[in-house]
Amino acid sequence: MKKEVEIKHLPMEEKKRLVAEGKMHWFFPGHIVEQIIICIVVFLVLITLATMFPPALDEMADPFTTPEHIKPEWYFLAAYQELKIAEKLMFIGAWAPKVIGIGMQGVIVGFLFAIPFLDPNPDRQYSKRKIALALGGAAVLGFIGLTIWGHFS
Amino acid sequence: MTELKLGPITLRNRLVLKGFEMLDRRFAIKEILDEEVFTKLAPTHLGIFSCFGGITFFIFLMQITTGLLLMVYYVPDTQSAHKSVVAITNDIPFGWAVRGLHFWGANLMVLTVMVHMAKIYFGGIYKAPREMNWVTGVALFLLTMGFSFTGYLLPWTQLSYWATVIATEAPGAMPVVGPLTKSLMLGGPDVSQITLSRFFTLHVMVLPAATFSLLIAHFLQIRRQGISGPM
Repeated sequence: MKKEVEIKHLPMEEKKRLVAEGKMHWFFPGHIVEQIIICIVVFLVLITLATMFPPALDEMADPFTTPEHIKPEWYFLAAYQELKIAEKLMFIGAWAPKVIGIGMQGVIVGFLFAIPFLDPNPDRQYSKRKIALALGGAAVLGFIGLTIWGHFS
Repeated sequence: MTELKLGPITLRNRLVLKGFEMLDRRFAIKEILDEEVFTKLAPTHLGIFSCFGGITFFIFLMQITTGLLLMVYYVPDTQSAHKSVVAITNDIPFGWAVRGLHFWGANLMVLTVMVHMAKIYFGGIYKAPREMNWVTGVALFLLTMGFSFTGYLLPWTQLSYWATVIATEAPGAMPVVGPLTKSLMLGGPDVSQITLSRFFTLHVMVLPAATFSLLIAHFLQIRRQGISGPM
């Protein structure tokens, strides 16, 4: 792979050849126009959602009335369900559910940070990264599974 | 000067040329534009999943814009917060649209961050020499979750109030560090005015400042290392 600085300082003739061969394209206007189109599409999606599905507004908070069912937003549902599962660890001791439940989330975040340093494999082809792909797939499925479970629990 | 060549582009419009000359005389912009824009190459091997980092950044800019507009009318006070959000939604011209964009932007941004991370993971793009940019990215992901967590309380509704009560109870039950963590988050034993003020400050000042700093680091690393090549 060529480094960014090497590509940047290629002679103009070489750059034109790369573009003609279709290996690269000009940042301007080719790439910029693509980005602008994507931004417009994202904006249209957002304004459509905001118009068709306006966010609900619950009644004002009342610290003296606890509502019956409180669920977090979808992106926190997996973490919420994980804490609920950890409540099953009551038999170890009263401290166990919270300590293990929250400790586990800390471990997962720490693990996320450390991924590049834990993966010793320099290859990027799918066929040479079977373990990493399996672990990643399991993590994604686990997150989706916990989210759905949290939604229906 | 009747025409100007910038990489593959030729400028002929007299007004554009005049404006260009004014700027170039002061800031020598031709060099920068030539190098950073007009003779710059972009890869062609990228699919739609490679765009999610950029999409996330675009949504973040939208959140800054709609957030600033909401802040003009929102009142971070337990007695007025809910009323001000009702007013934004029902009375203020296009308030409903701005709030809707901010709400959906927040939800979509969490999703696009996750898609971006999955692409980087499954494509093996976090590998050397880009290890530190993955670390920067995970920190940005946590900041996004922080934005969601703090922003959720601000309308001061039943749901947002009690969700915050429950979400802060769990870390509060940790031994040794629990009570301190909880009182740092809430500013007291309960979710109160101090909590609302803290979450508001985090949401509109601390988290944006941290996010901007990390985004600069994120983008500078991409500039230096380039887009990763095809597999």
